[in-house]
Amino acid sequence: MKTIIKIVVLFTLVLVSSCEDVIDVNVPTANPRLVIEASLDWEKGTAGNNQTIKLSTSTPYFDTTVNNEVTGALVKVTNAITNDEYNFIDQNDGTYTITNFVPIINDSYVLEVIYNGETYTATETLKSVSEINRVEQSIEGGFDDEVLDVSIFWDDPAGQENYYLIKFKEQGDLLPILEDQSDEFSNGNEMDDFFEKDREDDDDQNEFNPGDVVDISLYGISERYYNYIRLLIEQYDSGGDPFSSNSAEIRGNCINTTNAQNYAFGYFRLSEFDTVNYIFE
Amino acid sequence: MKHIFLGLCLLFSTILFAQETFSIRGTIKDVKNGETLLGASVFLKGTTNGAVTNEYGFFSITAPKGTYTLIISYLGYEEMSQDIILDTDQTLNIEIKELSTQLDEIVIIAEESERMNIKKPQMSVSKLNASTIKQIPAVLGEVDVIKSIQMLPGVTNNGEGTAGFNVRGGAADQNLVLLDEAIIYNTSHFFGFFSVFNADAIKDIKLYKGDIPAKFGGRVSSVLDVRQKDGNSKNFGLSGGIGLISSRLTAESPLFKDKGSFLIAGRTSYAHLFMPAIKDVKDDKISFYDLNLKTNYEINKNNRVYLSGYFGRDIFDISKVVKNRYGNTSGNLRWNHVFNDKLFSNLSLIYSKYDYQVVLDFVKLDWIADIKNYNLKYDFGYYVNNKLKLDFGLSGILYNLNPGEVKPTSESSPINYLKLEQKRAFESGLYVSAEHKLTDKLTAQYGLRYSRFSRLGGQNVMNYVGNQPVVYNNDLGIYEEGEESGETFYKKNESIKTFNNFEPRLGLSYQLNQSSSIKASYTKSSQYLHLLSNTSAVTPLDVWAPSGKYIKPQLSNQYAIGYYKNFNDNKYSLEVETYYKTVKNRIDYVDGSDLIGTNTIETEILNGKARAYGLEVLLRKNKGNFTGWLAYTLSKSEQKTLGGNAGGPGINKGKWYNTPYDRTHDISLTGIYKLNNKWSFSGNLVYQTGRPVTYPNGQYEYEGLSVASYSGRNEDRLPDYHRLDISAIYKPNRRPDKQWKGEWVFGLYNVYNRKNAASVSFRQNDESGKNEALRTAIFGLIPSITYNFKF
Repeated sequence: MKTIIKIVVLFTLVLVSSCEDVIDVNVPTANPRLVIEASLDWEKGTAGNNQTIKLSTSTPYFDTTVNNEVTGALVKVTNAITNDEYNFIDQNDGTYTITNFVPIINDSYVLEVIYNGETYTATETLKSVSEINRVEQSIEGGFDDEVLDVSIFWDDPAGQENYYLIKFKEQGDLLPILEDQSDEFSNGNEMDDFFEKDREDDDDQNEFNPGDVVDISLYGISERYYNYIRLLIEQYDSGGDPFSSNSAEIRGNCINTTNAQNYAFGYFRLSEFDTVNYIFE
Repeated sequence: MKHIFLGLCLLFSTILFAQETFSIRGTIKDVKNGETLLGASVFLKGTTNGAVTNEYGFFSITAPKGTYTLIISYLGYEEMSQDIILDTDQTLNIEIKELSTQLDEIVIIAEESERMNIKKPQMSVSKLNASTIKQIPAVLGEVDVIKSIQMLPGVTNNGEGTAGFNVRGGAADQNLVLLDEAIIYNTSHFFGFFSVFNADAIKDIKLYKGDIPAKFGGRVSSVLDVRQKDGNSKNFGLSGGIGLISSRLTAESPLFKDKGSFLIAGRTSYAHLFMPAIKDVKDDKISFYDLNLKTNYEINKNNRVYLSGYFGRDIFDISKVVKNRYGNTSGNLRWNHVFNDKLFSNLSLIYSKYDYQVVLDFVKLDWIADIKNYNLKYDFGYYVNNKLKLDFGLSGILYNLNPGEVKPTSESSPINYLKLEQKRAFESGLYVSAEHKLTDKLTAQYGLRYSRFSRLGGQNVMNYVGNQPVVYNNDLGIYEEGEESGETFYKKNESIKTFNNFEPRLGLSYQLNQSSSIKASYTKSSQYLHLLSNTSAVTPLDVWAPSGKYIKPQLSNQYAIGYYKNFNDNKYSLEVETYYKTVKNRIDYVDGSDLIGTNTIETEILNGKARAYGLEVLLRKNKGNFTGWLAYTLSKSEQKTLGGNAGGPGINKGKWYNTPYDRTHDISLTGIYKLNNKWSFSGNLVYQTGRPVTYPNGQYEYEGLSVASYSGRNEDRLPDYHRLDISAIYKPNRRPDKQWKGEWVFGLYNVYNRKNAASVSFRQNDESGKNEALRTAIFGLIPSITYNFKF
């Protein structure tokens, strides 16, 4: 909700303001932390046996030489209900993989990572998601009535709280775009999410054009993960602008049981997701 | 015991029934337009007997029988004297004349007229009148009351384009802003670029930064008391102006055979008229307007009624997808009644409302929220004798808050209708305050305010397991919502929670010699309404929340001492003040809080405290062709929010952190030079330490993005802010017989075009993938031109 309100304010600011430029800023540097990107995502209609967990360390903010993969760690996931254990195999490039994972909706799983003699654990429940009913493109939707936009639609289950992560990526783009939604104001209804790119005067390729291909995925997520990813998205999009909430360290669910202060960044999430691939007409 | 009682009786009888005394009372007005003058000094020559006119131009002096010369003085006006024989109580209505040669002379006075000010115990007050405000260079030539007070020590804001102002390190919601006594909840147009006060309709403004008189209550940081003009009671007049942003028109006239007058002033922006012609913004509509009204009628010499009103609105329609409306509405009906020569009273019935609406077409959502209040207030001024003046009164405010109503905009909208719990509260206040001349050199002002706040029922209130709306999750190191344990419904006539506070106020002034004095003060105040805002800048969409079961009232204590000196025949004056302020129960928001659209705000907040201290210096030149001032503030403003009942370390690991309004150094230099009758020039130079912000201290990869990590709250700062503005006022030849008087105002804002950072945001460049810091600067060099006229 705050995000929406913020859009209003930012729109206004953009209209009246002026100038933005990239400047050099001295920022503080914290000691590196372990980053656990353990996203066990299960695509609808697949077995979900192949899973990857990424480990890395954090780096100074403006560092561009990225050589921070973490190898040599022990990574294990346990189904807390069935007690089935899944040991992930170190690929020596920062990824740890497995090919026989069994995802079960609403089961609770425990992640354990042992690295540098310290043990990190996290617990999370696998959340289901509704199917994407349809994808539509239009001109009128979105912010700008002159550029193409695309929307996905899905049915929100009534009588329960649901949280969603939506990932958009245009093929050829470097970075994905993440959005979060909850059914706070639309419980039980058909929900939608749209995606639009700005028109730029000097570059008519920036906006969507017929023939552009986008991948859109809809993930069912837990409330706690929603709180985490919402904050992460907000800070990623607008860290530092005066209309966003105070930037702060985002704590995930990976606890260091050896040394609590040395907690890890990242999250252990388990989600069912539906994905579509859309070509603009 | 008996002796003490007898002594007390004697003391009172000496105060009350000393010798045969008589009173002179009356009103001081401007001879030209009949406006009552507030703060004019009236005294009996050769004595220490005197008074200062109140908000309605009223004064009363009591003195022993005799022959005196009454002197009336007011800065910028000709001094007037009148011989009186005091052998009976009498009423004198006096009209004084503005100094013609000084028509445009700067009139800034720290408190009242020069002759009296250093004696009065009132301190920490800044006063500007409309004519001064109009001379300070303004962005885009749009005269701005709120921006002008930021040129004075102890007042800042959160940067260009942000709403509100901060006084002595306090938050914007800690300021009580009154327009003709009505509470104004949002002081800005255009998300903070301009203020809601049309300078043409304003008589003067007074800002109490501390030492707040007992008659004011409800906010812990400051009181901004804005008074509208009464309207010309002598002649019909029309004035106005055309600027880059807005046009103004004011009409004023006598009414009812000179028994009354009225003023009606309108201001509107007009950029939206041209927008359809510009391709990029043809679907946008951005505008604001406001309307001020005031009228008064003198029933007889003891009774006068006033009616004043304000209505303002901002309109933003952007690309047909975002619609936003917001604004204040207020009205006030007042009855001035003079009981006798010594007792003055004013009864006010006041209404104010702030509301906003946001329609977001792309999510098919329509959002409405408002806060309104009805206020009944009865104030008395009792001029006991020449040593003692009493002010007392009572007030009751009924609040109705609608924190939000969500509606779908169409059939196909995914939005469900939702109305958040309506909130009601009643705030009452009772006060008595005395200004007491203890000796010739020592004057005290002491008072007590009793305030009571009842959060009224008629709503559901959520309960939590262990009475903990917020719980610290020890494992994850985050604050989370407490576990709900059902709601309690409170009936309309039930009180959910009631708070009582005694708020003593004390001020002392000791006159060192004819031209200098020292003052000290202590103020305790409480605040029951809180603006929920977890962003560093206030936005018009922030929600007000009343104290209640989970939110406690804010309580502040402020101590201040000051030194005041006039020198060089009162040409110059110097004010030095230092203050220390603490605020209890200042709420702050847990990381990642979402404050909009929730009935359970309590799950997002922690109770903390704040402190601020500083030194303020104001050196002014009050007379001559060159006038102006230098203001310097050295200050610190911090907050600390522990976990408390919720457990855990609290915000920022439980350590003190800078508030967003902390400015170590703040310097403003303002100068106005009158070259001749045609030309005058003004300029101001501002320098401020950068706003505290939180910068990233690292990055990590997540979901293919480079995500920033952050350390302690507000540990870093934006680059320092500085700026120079100049303006020139040109008055073409005026023939005295000509009715039409025009003037041109040319302005240059930010002369050396510094790109002051309104914010520095951090992002990953979506083409290179590299992280970068992006500076947003709002106003570069901006020229402006305005034409003002009077008819």
